[in-house]
Amino acid sequence: MQLCFFPGCNTPAIRPDVERAIRASLPVLGIEVVDADNYVCCPAFGSFPSADEEAWMATSGWNLSIAEQKGCDFVVQCGSCYSSLRMGREHLVHDAEKLAHVNELLEPTGRQVTGKSKVRHISEVLFRGIGPEKIASKLKKSLRGLHGVVQYPCHTLFPSEIVGFEESPRAPEGLRRLVEALGAAVDGYSRELQCCGGAGGFMKSSPEQALEFAKTKFDAILEETKADFIAVSCITCLMHMERVQNIFNEQLGEERYRIPVFDYNQLLALCLGFDPKEVSAIANVPRDSVISRLADEEKLRYLEDTKKFVEVW
Amino acid sequence: MDLQEGSIKDLWKDIYHTGNLHYCFNCSTCISGCPASHGEPPLLVRNLARKVILGLEEDLLMDDTPWACVSCSRCEEMCPMNVMPFEMILSIRQWQCRNDETLIPSAIVEIYKRGYTQAVGVNTELRESLGLPQLNTITNNPEQLELFREMLMKTQVVSDNDYMFKG
Repeated sequence: MQLCFFPGCNTPAIRPDVERAIRASLPVLGIEVVDADNYVCCPAFGSFPSADEEAWMATSGWNLSIAEQKGCDFVVQCGSCYSSLRMGREHLVHDAEKLAHVNELLEPTGRQVTGKSKVRHISEVLFRGIGPEKIASKLKKSLRGLHGVVQYPCHTLFPSEIVGFEESPRAPEGLRRLVEALGAAVDGYSRELQCCGGAGGFMKSSPEQALEFAKTKFDAILEETKADFIAVSCITCLMHMERVQNIFNEQLGEERYRIPVFDYNQLLALCLGFDPKEVSAIANVPRDSVISRLADEEKLRYLEDTKKFVEVW
Repeated sequence: MDLQEGSIKDLWKDIYHTGNLHYCFNCSTCISGCPASHGEPPLLVRNLARKVILGLEEDLLMDDTPWACVSCSRCEEMCPMNVMPFEMILSIRQWQCRNDETLIPSAIVEIYKRGYTQAVGVNTELRESLGLPQLNTITNNPEQLELFREMLMKTQVVSDNDYMFKG
C-alpha cells in the first residue's frame, strides 16, 4: 500500500527525529511512503481557519490535490494537521458550491480537487490498517517489563463524526493496544483523556492556568501509575508534554517530573531495531531510562522456543 | 444595547449562519472538559453563543477569549444540540478579523510568504545527520510558491489586506 506522507510544519522543522521514525518503520510494515511535494501548511487552526473560510478551503484544496495527483491517501501524524485537513475535505465534499469555487481558485495553479483522497491519521493506519498482531510479529526489541501511559490526540477523537475511527471516542483503545503490541504494560489513570492543553492560544493567554491544568494530568500519572514513559501520537502533545515537565521542575527547583515522552512511531522504530541516534535523537526529557531497557526480542524468542523444544522433547 | 429585531437577526447571520445555534439552551456541556475554561479570563463557550444570538456586537468584538481555544473539539463532540461550538469559535474569530484587521493572525502572513508557519526545509544539516532526505518544500520552489501566492491573493482576507503580504 502507498500512502502520501503529510509532514506538517513542526515535525520536519523541529522534531525531524519523529519524521525519521515514521519513514523508517512504515516500509517495514508494508507501506510505501510517497512524498507530498510542494505541500503547504495544513492550514493550522490559528491561521486561515481563524481568518477566512475561503482561504482555508483554498489551502486545504491545494494540499488535498497533491495526494489526489499521487493517487493515494494522506497519512498524517500531527493532530492539528489531521483534523484541519479532514475538516477541509469534509466541507469540500459536502458542499458542491464550495468545491466548485476552490477548483476555480486552483485552476490557474494547474491543480484540481475532487475529494477522492482520504486523510488518515498514522495511529489509525497502524491500528486498523496494519494491526497490533502484525506489528508484534515484526519486533526485534520490545518494551517488556516497562510500564507506559498513553495520550490520545484530541484531534483523532473529536468530533468523532469527522475525525474518529475508534468504536467509542469516550473509551478509545487504539493507542493502548499499539503500545501493548510492543510488550509494555499500559496503565490507565483518571486523567487519561484530559487534553494536553498545548495547542491554540491557551498557553499564551493564560500560562499560569495552562501549566496548572497540565500539572493535574502529570500528578495523576505520578500518583496513579508506574509509568516509565508516555506514548503520544501528535507532535503538539509531544512537544508540550516535554516542555511543561521542564517548566514544573524549574519552578519547583527539583527534578520531580521526568517521564520520557515518545511519539508512538519512535517506540515502534526502536522496537523494529532502528538506531536511537536517528529515530529518537532529540529528547527534551532524557529517555535513557527507556532506551537502555529495551528487551532483545529475538534472543527472548529464541530462548522461549528452545525451552518449548526441550519440554516437548 | 440595541434589541431591535433587525440587528439581532443580522449579527448571527453575519457571524455563524446555522439554525442550530438557536437550539443552544446554555447547558454548559461545552465548558465542562474545555481546557481553556480554566484560563484567566476563562473561555466560556456558551456565553459566546449567547452573545452571538443576542447580537452583542461591541462586546463580542472586544472579546479575545475565542483565541484561547485549543481546538480539542470536545465541545463539538458533546454539544447535545449540535451547535458545533468549535466551528462557531472559528467563525467568531473570522468575523472579528473582518471587523478589526489588527486581529488577523500573523501566521497567515508567514504561510503566504514561505508556505508554512515554521521554517520547514532549512534544517538540512540536522536532517542529514538523522538520515533524512531533503524535503521538496514550496519554500525552495519559487515557481510553485508564486502560484500559491497568486491563488491566496484572490481570497478575501488576503486581497482586502494586501499591504500585510507585500515586501
